[in-house]
Amino acid sequence: MTVTPETPPTRPLRVLVVLPLYGGSLSVGRYCVRALRSLGHLVDVFEAPAFHPAFTALKDLSVSSQNLGQLENGFLQVVSQAIYAKVESFEPDLVLSLAQAPLDSQTLRRLRKDGVATAMWFVEDFRIFTYWKGFAPLYDAFAIIQEDPFFEELEKVGQPNAVYLPLAADPDFHKPLELSSVDCRTFGSDLSFMGAGYPNRRQAFRQLIRYDFKLWGTEWDGDPTLERHLQLGGRRITSEECVKIFNASRINLNLHSSVQSEQLVSRGDFVNPRTFELAACGAFQLVDERGLLFDMFHSDELATFDSMPDLMEKIDYYLTHSEERTQIAQRGREKVLAEHTYAHRMQTLIDFIASRRPGWPTPRRKAADTMKDFPQDLKEQLIALLDRLNLPSTVSFEDLIAAVRRQSGKLSDIETAVLFLDEWKKQYGGK
Amino acid sequence: MPDTPAQRHLVIQLARFGDLMQTKRLMATLMADPGLEVHLAVDRSMAELAALVYPGVVVHALTAHASGVGTAAQAAAANLPVFATLRDLDFERVYNLNFSGLNVAVSGLFDPAIVVGYRLEHGHERRGLWQDMAMRWTRYRRFAGLNLVDFWGLFAAQPVTPGAVNPIAQRGGKGVGVVLAGRETRRSLSPGVLSTLAAAVTQGIRAERVVLLGSKAEQGLAKEILSVLPSAIRAKTVDRVGLTDWSGLIDELTGLDAVLTPDTGTMHLAAHLGVPVHAFFLSSAWCWETGPYGMGHRVWQTAEGCAPCLESAPCPYAVKCAAPFAARDLVRHLSGNAAFEIPEGLLGLVSGFDPLGVVYRPVLGEDPLAPRRLKFRQLIGSWLGLPMGGDPDHELACELFEEQDWMLDRGVLPTDLFEFMKNSERDQA
Repeated sequence: MTVTPETPPTRPLRVLVVLPLYGGSLSVGRYCVRALRSLGHLVDVFEAPAFHPAFTALKDLSVSSQNLGQLENGFLQVVSQAIYAKVESFEPDLVLSLAQAPLDSQTLRRLRKDGVATAMWFVEDFRIFTYWKGFAPLYDAFAIIQEDPFFEELEKVGQPNAVYLPLAADPDFHKPLELSSVDCRTFGSDLSFMGAGYPNRRQAFRQLIRYDFKLWGTEWDGDPTLERHLQLGGRRITSEECVKIFNASRINLNLHSSVQSEQLVSRGDFVNPRTFELAACGAFQLVDERGLLFDMFHSDELATFDSMPDLMEKIDYYLTHSEERTQIAQRGREKVLAEHTYAHRMQTLIDFIASRRPGWPTPRRKAADTMKDFPQDLKEQLIALLDRLNLPSTVSFEDLIAAVRRQSGKLSDIETAVLFLDEWKKQYGGK
Repeated sequence: MPDTPAQRHLVIQLARFGDLMQTKRLMATLMADPGLEVHLAVDRSMAELAALVYPGVVVHALTAHASGVGTAAQAAAANLPVFATLRDLDFERVYNLNFSGLNVAVSGLFDPAIVVGYRLEHGHERRGLWQDMAMRWTRYRRFAGLNLVDFWGLFAAQPVTPGAVNPIAQRGGKGVGVVLAGRETRRSLSPGVLSTLAAAVTQGIRAERVVLLGSKAEQGLAKEILSVLPSAIRAKTVDRVGLTDWSGLIDELTGLDAVLTPDTGTMHLAAHLGVPVHAFFLSSAWCWETGPYGMGHRVWQTAEGCAPCLESAPCPYAVKCAAPFAARDLVRHLSGNAAFEIPEGLLGLVSGFDPLGVVYRPVLGEDPLAPRRLKFRQLIGSWLGLPMGGDPDHELACELFEEQDWMLDRGVLPTDLFEFMKNSERDQA
């Protein structure tokens, strides 16, 4: 879906990104934060993972399930209240939640009452994770990685403001690397796969053991056939290591997960983040064909397969055709940089919200206009501060104050002067 | 070899005249430490006075009061060089005294870990446990008062003893000073009442001179008072209202026999100089919070059930608490006539000390809240490690202590309790 806003936002936004406590959408959330900042928006983050140890401690209690349920409910209420408090002090134009963000329905209703725009990027398969039915209507905008029938389903539960927002890559992170010889040896192979051991993958990869095949990631235990291919003892692979694996492998396998082991190539609709990340790295991938894949990539920008025999044939072919691998990977990278970064996604989301929410965001006076009559020395130092905080020239003075409040530790003279000025106005009036 | 550089401590006091004077116990504590270089940040209008009353202290003048300042940006611009100086001074500790956004903003110049009191953390105001407790006891103002001088003094881990703050008040032979009005007119007596009381005190202590004190804004009031003073008193009255700068005011106060005043900065300055104060506390003025500090002062405190009220709220009772100050019995008493009865709705108190700080003991009239007030002080004092005596009070403890005080690591207690207690015991002796 192409979104054409009637009135695109004319000023940088203040966005509060609410991360999940844990899980796959956590990294997506962090990429969103970077992307929003790169677009010139003022971003604050609710670091829900910092609360995760408390949640784990509750789970480790030896108490009845009824008591545990009450405790977990109380815990989530506290976290939600913390998010609300953050909203009260940061006054964002938009609260952006990632899937599984711990924002409860009561808080979402309060935010709606307060007029704060909310959006969720539901980076999950709606057929498997069905909890969206409960809370999707409580968000003002709902971004999804699948199309119909999900749009129709959302309409049925009372969420008409849904936008298709496929996953993406962060080109500052997912990029070609010059690897050391040690890294090449550690992370390199003819064939690799990085990801969790879903049933379809376990079945499929047993057919690949004759290759120089390295398997990376978790949940592969209990499979003696694949055991000798599993790297680093099956521990969790960091995002930095992922990028090294992508760069070091001749062929990166990208088989979308499925809980079914009967159909190894599931032919689902949405495209996983690995597809974009591999392409952004300029790495060659063999990816299973997905319903929505060719809406985003041409057939010469990715190498695909539609069955296990097709996969085996293409592995053999591409292992011996390095030039073709390089060309396809290069085209894939160009496509991602042009259309499929998180910055593109965030811009699409913002434009969508603006198109559905007349008058959003509330206009604010530019800092430059506010400072017009300031004493020269103060003005010069404030302009330098805007630059140092990487704030665009269109930012409002209120945003500058909010950016200074996000600093921690000792403030500089000019940062202190900004807060002093703000407090002076609160105490003595608007002059 | 150069001497070991002194440690620098900074006190930020951006409020007004009275507040600057009530910072005395904290300032006296810091100034008594030979290893400290003491700095004080005040509003520009207070800088001269600060240097006079706290000699040897490095005073930093900030623009924090709006009068005479055009815009917020001009204030911020004026402060930029001062901010730079303060930031570069590498303070070991900063005492930030006022619960105000401006103070909190200034504290942003320093590592929050060194700021005692109100500080900036993660862009927002945070305060210590001591300051939090004070917020709690303001819910029980009628009996839970702690003098502001002691409250701020106890920002320091080992404050000087209460008796070491101000000299014992004693007559100096230079007559009676009369302060015409406080900042809040509702706290001040009418010209007719004040002139009657001034005449009575002058007669009672057989003073040979009366001096009227106040700001330029009160010059009209001075003329009014002069016009109603008995002619014998008027003949020995000098009108210095609006004619004194800070140093002139100190000169006028020094050596007086007594100062008659509502709750004012001048009252605290007189106490600082050891001049006996006769203070009139009515309306929102509450001596247990802001009474004259030191031994030998007298306070006439309204005892109405609605006191202390809020300055910001209009009085629904036509300021009835002012009426007892016009009673003939009070005039009789002040003029030295032993035959009198304390007017209803008024308490006569004299200042003294307990281990926690200054107290006001009722000598005329009955203070029904005295036992509760004592309980409060025992609770707070024992929490600070002071030998206060008394039985523990569970209900009061539930009101003033909260579970997060001890369950969560958030408070700052005096670091050397032993030293603190030793000082207090010495003071008691």
